[in-house]
Amino acid sequence: MKPFFGLFLLVVISLSCSKEPAITTEMVDGGTLFDPSVYNPEKYLVSRAIPTPTAEQARKPVIIACHGYSATTFEWDEFRAWANGRTDFYLSQVLLNGHGRSYEDFKKSTWQDWQAAIVAEYEALTKAGYQNISLLSSSTSGALLLNLVASGYFANRMAPRNLLLVDPIIIPSDKSLSLVKALGPMLGYVEVDQPATEDKVYYHFRPQETLQQLQSLLTIVRKDLEKGITLPSNCNLKVYKSKKDPSADPVSAVLIYKGTTLPNGQPIDVELIDSELHVYTRLNLREDVTSKDRQNQTTTFTDIVSRVLR
Amino acid sequence: MNRICFFVLVLIGVNIAFSFGQNHSTTNAILDVGIRFQKSISLYTENGITIQYTSQKLASQRLYFGASYVTSRLGTAIRSNAIKQDNFLINASWYFRPKWLIQPVVKANVGYFKADYGSDLFNELPRTSLLASPEFGLCYCPNFPLKINASVGYNLFTGNGITGPGTLYPVFVQTSITWNVLKKSAN
Repeated sequence: MKPFFGLFLLVVISLSCSKEPAITTEMVDGGTLFDPSVYNPEKYLVSRAIPTPTAEQARKPVIIACHGYSATTFEWDEFRAWANGRTDFYLSQVLLNGHGRSYEDFKKSTWQDWQAAIVAEYEALTKAGYQNISLLSSSTSGALLLNLVASGYFANRMAPRNLLLVDPIIIPSDKSLSLVKALGPMLGYVEVDQPATEDKVYYHFRPQETLQQLQSLLTIVRKDLEKGITLPSNCNLKVYKSKKDPSADPVSAVLIYKGTTLPNGQPIDVELIDSELHVYTRLNLREDVTSKDRQNQTTTFTDIVSRVLR
Repeated sequence: MNRICFFVLVLIGVNIAFSFGQNHSTTNAILDVGIRFQKSISLYTENGITIQYTSQKLASQRLYFGASYVTSRLGTAIRSNAIKQDNFLINASWYFRPKWLIQPVVKANVGYFKADYGSDLFNELPRTSLLASPEFGLCYCPNFPLKINASVGYNLFTGNGITGPGTLYPVFVQTSITWNVLKKSAN
């Protein structure tokens, strides 16, 4: 019955609320709190920190970590903190275009804009000579990476060594997203119920235009998966998926497993995680984090790095 | 799960038996048999078969009882990696203007949904669900055995990431094309 009430609420909200959200300067939506990577890109992007690597640096693995829809580089800060002091790989945290700036910037962005930031860092690194690059994603970035592979982007380029997808979304848990093209224009935006502390690093308001972009991306990638996606040579893929996820339906992992194969035709790796969190690797600012959640996070970080260093 | 399947099959069986029973005793019985094309908004096409029955005794042919089976195996999952999923439905329909060429129709479906994820890796994920959905639509019902019925339906139970199969979506549209196989005997 929950989706029915969701739909009902959607209609009630659309009829009752204004189309201009009540944005405050305490929100990342407000246009005053910018993602820190905007001010100090060299602290987040390896291409900016080490633009001309030595031969030894160029051989060192680089992980490009990409956040999800409406999030910021904050989503992978804990991975950076966990890896603090390690010198056997580099971490590049990409801020997707349209994110971490203002509601208006977000509203006018497309999913291709979001993806362009990942492509820009990947191309900057390859151009600089880095030879061992892996891509790490959370939520929507997983769909963006799968789209890159399906589109043939890596066909004439150096392929990434690993695609590591944490809680990728192909099927949303909230099925009302499937109706966003019809109901979105009436709705204007969706307000997210999240703690005020999260308002500084996750957009509080989601413009319906961006929800339509998200739905378009998910439809394209789902159809790509139905046709079948073959990974480029020497590229591995692993999906880490919460068994219960209020944002990205766990069945997303099934679609990726069925729709993606290694170059030799073998299936990809999937690990179902005993968690009820979406992007279970991000625990900061969450309420009621359990020891199991911390264990899941550490285990996944360890597994990610071990795969990258193979 | 097996008990639910058995229950649905028994209901369908009783319904069909009831239908044929009516056929023998009533000259104005209608037994529509045909194909059903169904599309979940933003997800799969699922196609299959449908059957429905009415007679003069059922509110002067305004009330129909029927059953349908639609599956992605005959839709999006043909030669693709889409999830194979099956919908078993029994239903009751009410035709509001039986003498009109185009008749408003409301329908209530209940049934059973089952998805096949194709790997033991996903045994812990929900893959079955009860189905319950109202449908609202129109039927093109000429004075001829053919019926074309188009409607919009809303699944009251769907997956939400925590419970329920993830590929069970809320809104669907369907078109059924049926043929009254009792038309000759009725005339």
